[in-house]
Amino acid sequence: MTLEEKLRILADGAKYDASCSSSGSTRTNSGGIGNAAYSGICHSFASDGRCISLLKILMTNCCIFDCKYCINRKSNHIKRAIFTPDEICTTTMNFYRRNYIEGLFLSSGIIKSADYTMELLIKTIKLLRYKYHFHGYIHCKAIPGASDYLLKELGGLVDRLSANIELPTEKGLKLLAPNKNSNKVTKIMSYVKENRSESYAPAGQSTQMIIGATKETDLDIMNKSEKLYKSYDLKRVFYSAYIPVNKDKLLPTLESPPLARENRLYQADWLLRFYGFKVNDLLDERNPNFNILIDPKANWALRHLDEFPKEINSASYYDLLKVPGIGIKSAKRIIACRKNFKITFEDLKKMGIVIKRAKYFITCNHKYFINSTYFQKGFIEANLILEDNIKENKKKEQLSLFP
Amino acid sequence: MKNNQVYLYDGSFLGILNLINKLLTVQIKPFNICNKNIYQPSLIDEIIDLEQDDDFKIKDLNVSKEILKTIYYVYLSNNEHKELIIYYFLLNAQKYKNKIFYMRNLKCVNHALKIAKYVSNENHKLKGFVRFKEIKNHVLYASISPTNDVLELLSLHFMSRLKNEYWIIKDIGRNKYSIYDTKKYYIVSGENMNLKEVEIDEEEKTIENLWLTFFRTIGIEGRKNKKCQMNFMPKKYWKYIIEMEDAYEKGNNG
Ligand code: SF4
Repeated sequence: MTLEEKLRILADGAKYDASCSSSGSTRTNSGGIGNAAYSGICHSFASDGRCISLLKILMTNCCIFDCKYCINRKSNHIKRAIFTPDEICTTTMNFYRRNYIEGLFLSSGIIKSADYTMELLIKTIKLLRYKYHFHGYIHCKAIPGASDYLLKELGGLVDRLSANIELPTEKGLKLLAPNKNSNKVTKIMSYVKENRSESYAPAGQSTQMIIGATKETDLDIMNKSEKLYKSYDLKRVFYSAYIPVNKDKLLPTLESPPLARENRLYQADWLLRFYGFKVNDLLDERNPNFNILIDPKANWALRHLDEFPKEINSASYYDLLKVPGIGIKSAKRIIACRKNFKITFEDLKKMGIVIKRAKYFITCNHKYFINSTYFQKGFIEANLILEDNIKENKKKEQLSLFP
Repeated sequence: MKNNQVYLYDGSFLGILNLINKLLTVQIKPFNICNKNIYQPSLIDEIIDLEQDDDFKIKDLNVSKEILKTIYYVYLSNNEHKELIIYYFLLNAQKYKNKIFYMRNLKCVNHALKIAKYVSNENHKLKGFVRFKEIKNHVLYASISPTNDVLELLSLHFMSRLKNEYWIIKDIGRNKYSIYDTKKYYIVSGENMNLKEVEIDEEEKTIENLWLTFFRTIGIEGRKNKKCQMNFMPKKYWKYIIEMEDAYEKGNNG
């Protein structure tokens, strides 16, 4: 089999992993090739609009497991391939030197056993670091069930070491991935959390959940995320809209992947991590799913309209963050600027703050952007939805802002 | 200020700082400041070519690193009024010091900060979009055609990333090269270079094809979103991004 054919098969098997980031590491070039850029660099964008920063491949798509949702599952009759360590290294080096990529993302199906697969991964990455002197970014997937001493070795070689939780509940996992259990995954997460340092997975860990393959609600998913962030100090939880690749009576039939839902989850995830929101603020048993028409923050604001409008010249940082359309940068900028002058609506625009959504929820010097009798739920909600629909295309673009 | 006095400088960063420092010291507000290498004389302009202050050092300006960085980025921009924008930014910087970054209600400050951001964004994008080809003797060669003059900024980036490689980056539009010899990079005007068309061999083609294979495979059909792809990777860069070259030549969205 040619290298090109292998690459086609093994990139195809890896492409459903949503993780793409290459940020958070400060590895320097100590006499070889490459370094890591702390803020991450996108090198290209695929036809689906997702950023390409890493050579995302599987070492092999052979697997002893039979996870229902996975293209590489044992029971599928597909072409199988395996890269040799040298093939992975030379391809990474060739791509990196030409600035096609920021580094390597290496995952794998399981051959023989978890430990055996891990040993092969380690052998490959060792070769890349020590023989090829590659100092660029490496994200490697740990194999659930691998022994501690292998986790130890692998983490010392890569920038990010992670494992995918795949489904938000044990029930879902039992149904679709009977060979896996979440304990094996969380064991890896604990190990990485405890050992993380400048020389052990310095860019931390992330994980992924598949959205829409099982019946869990957004509330189930967000609760799981909240727990994961808290317990394992994860950098990111990625959400990957389920894409039907297999036919199976246990799998739902979807016309198209639930991309809008995925987008809402990313937005909510952002609110949890940076905006001081809790899952309970956003969802509850009576409303266990996000509103597809309105983003979670605006939805929250509409349900708490009595806390608005916020006065731009005096609201606290966290109050500013509660305003739909105002993000972290904008909030910080407002606070720094208002020490020097009283901010008007005009100023906000000048400051590069988009007020298209925010204007409904704020006052500047106690003035609302139009007659304040318009400050009511029906009016604001209708306008937000209207604007979103006009901007339907814009929204699609935002989809891939997150992963 | 007379409405026709045009001050000329030699086109360099130090040159413009030197001139502006002088103008600030003697409190002259210029009508315009122009790079003498590209200045187009006009009948009504009164041209003033102030003598350079040979002892001038950047630190004479007495501004912070952040301010210096901002005006350097503005200097690299393709904005036709950048010299005046730098002048007014520095004028205000004298008064506000580092607080200037929050004086967003002042038009000239806001303008300068926006331009600096624009340049820094383009630099960041190109850190990803530059595509090297290996030519003879393992030298890596890339062409770019940026809107702003980011060749120097990019060189700094690749100097640490591709430390042990020999590389050349050519800014096609400005006809200049950055040439790196594993120790330092040199910015050289195309007029002084005699580089023939770059040719690549079969082996290089094979590697490019591998990349194309990867690129085409990694997009998920069920999530196709060409608009989004184009938004992040603007068309103006396609010509030199090998995976987009085809789309560029066909003049469509790929
Ligand atoms: S273990 Fe991984 S590669 Fe194997 S079938 Fe399950 S998800 Fe697919």
